[in-house]
Amino acid sequence: MNHFFTVEGILYFGAISLSIIGLFGLLVSKNLFRLLLSLVLFEAGANLVLVLSGFIRNGIAPIFLDGNSGAVMNDPVPQALVLTAIVIGVGVQALALSLIFRVKKHYGSMDMRTIRSKLEREIAENAGVTPPGSNEAPAPVKLIEGENS
Amino acid sequence: MNSLVLLMVLPLFAAFIIPVVAKFSSKLALFTGPVVLCINLLLIMSAWVKVGSGAHAIFLGGFLPPVGIVFYIDHFSLLFSGLIASMVLIVWPWDAKESRLYSLYMLLSAASFGLALSADLFNLYVFYELLAVATYGIIAKQKNSSATAASLRYLFISSAGSVMLLLGIAIIYTLTGTLNIAHLATMTENLHGFAGLSAFALIAIGAGVKAEMFPVNSWVAEVYGTIPRQLSALLAGLISKLAVVLIIKMLLMVFQVQAAFDLLLVVGMLGVISGEMVAWRAKDMIRMLSFSSIAHLGVLFIALSIGGSKGLWLAIAIMLHHLLVKGGLFLMADRFSGHFDKLKGLAHHSPMSAAVFLVFILSLLGVPPLPGFWIKMALVMNLAELGGGLYYLAIGVILLATIIETAYMFNLVQTMYLKADADSTPLNKRYSASYTFAKLFALLLLVSMVFVSPISKRLKDIANHSANPQIYIHTVLPARYLGEKS
Repeated sequence: MNHFFTVEGILYFGAISLSIIGLFGLLVSKNLFRLLLSLVLFEAGANLVLVLSGFIRNGIAPIFLDGNSGAVMNDPVPQALVLTAIVIGVGVQALALSLIFRVKKHYGSMDMRTIRSKLEREIAENAGVTPPGSNEAPAPVKLIEGENS
Repeated sequence: MNSLVLLMVLPLFAAFIIPVVAKFSSKLALFTGPVVLCINLLLIMSAWVKVGSGAHAIFLGGFLPPVGIVFYIDHFSLLFSGLIASMVLIVWPWDAKESRLYSLYMLLSAASFGLALSADLFNLYVFYELLAVATYGIIAKQKNSSATAASLRYLFISSAGSVMLLLGIAIIYTLTGTLNIAHLATMTENLHGFAGLSAFALIAIGAGVKAEMFPVNSWVAEVYGTIPRQLSALLAGLISKLAVVLIIKMLLMVFQVQAAFDLLLVVGMLGVISGEMVAWRAKDMIRMLSFSSIAHLGVLFIALSIGGSKGLWLAIAIMLHHLLVKGGLFLMADRFSGHFDKLKGLAHHSPMSAAVFLVFILSLLGVPPLPGFWIKMALVMNLAELGGGLYYLAIGVILLATIIETAYMFNLVQTMYLKADADSTPLNKRYSASYTFAKLFALLLLVSMVFVSPISKRLKDIANHSANPQIYIHTVLPARYLGEKS
């Protein structure tokens, strides 16, 4: 029980809480930009967990000055991995932002629910059927035949 | 043998030079990609012969594992590399005018080769992300704005999945201090606790986004509904399987425990049921195919939950069969999309395409002499052999799904063979390469019907070899690490 209250325990708790907050945001947010920010938080949490995996309290920076100083080094591998993960994350977030701009321009809305329902309607129109589960058009087959003739 | 690194390097290089080449000649840019893929196919074939029944590891940069990055080569990874090269060649965008799209396809294939070959967990994550970014780009590049919205929604779901994958990797690194899969396979006892299994769950669900796994597949219908059919054939046929390959690598080498199998079994069953139910209610071809594809990936997860070489053998068979059938059906759908009612009388317009369609559907349902039957049969037999409540339930689910599938598929076939109405649109009869490839796929299916037993024997050999962690460990790790263990 007592290793929860060490520095590492608190840091792990913070990192995992951060990713849980991010995941929660992804599940409940409706605004596109908030979704993006939740993604950023989620990723930050995961990156912190990764960088913590190589963390040693009182460890020194992993640089060889003289071979036998006796001090313990932090593991350098997770730091390199996190750097890669951060770069990938930034790239994806930039792409997401540019897509958000284009979606906003086309649909005139930042609300995921609106966009999703419009998207489903467009797909259904392209396929020539009524949108799945729509309450507005209860007589699907007739309606479409009428439109075509 | 080390030339196999070119599989990944060549497409990556081509992706970067294609925009430059396009400045001088757009024809040249168009042909760069297919040429690279053909070279890759030749490399794969020569490696296939050279590897024989063994395995080979390539140590990148001369660093020996577990420090360096490793590519692991055996018939399983070469089989998938071959499928990637041929599938991307089949769906190559010949009529697209934009050189950027060619670059994205090249990036996609580079990442796919990396996923098939890499034996390092973090490297797999990087290739998975590269694959994801290339896919978002290709989807968003389509000339309609609904594709942009679909791509954005896909991006959110898939990035969340990648972060879960990263979190799983972080937990594994915390527990073991290594990311080399062979090295992980030597210390499985550290990973079979609660933390290790939650890492597996995170990895399975994270990679499951691409594999259309049950709770994280809401992107499927939207993306497949907005992109060209050829691209759907690529995504449903191949990319989903590559994500499964990632899960397979972790499952067979590191997490051979009942809890992991149970997780896959449960998400598999839920996927089968939910996919078939929605497909049953679908009114147009693409939606039906999308959800039936989700159901079939569910069957694949059920097969994986058998575990060991038997599970891998069944999984490979299901993946190949699904690639042929679903790939073929999506390529066919180029000709007859739209509301089912419009397909009335199709068989009279074009008996050939109706017949090809029927072959695919019969095999998908598992009607005897076709390969689909033997796969379903072997799957059910193996599940029954294992016994136990969940496995019996899985048999029930598979059989129930077959009934639902038969109901909606035969309904569609019946519509096709009805007399044409006045308002049924005549078939789109212009020549399309994808229809030719669909016919080729159907032919392959019929040929494999004749050679069922040699093919299954070959697949069993591959699976026996690839599902054995000892071979993997001895190929990858240098001898001194093994000395420490024993």
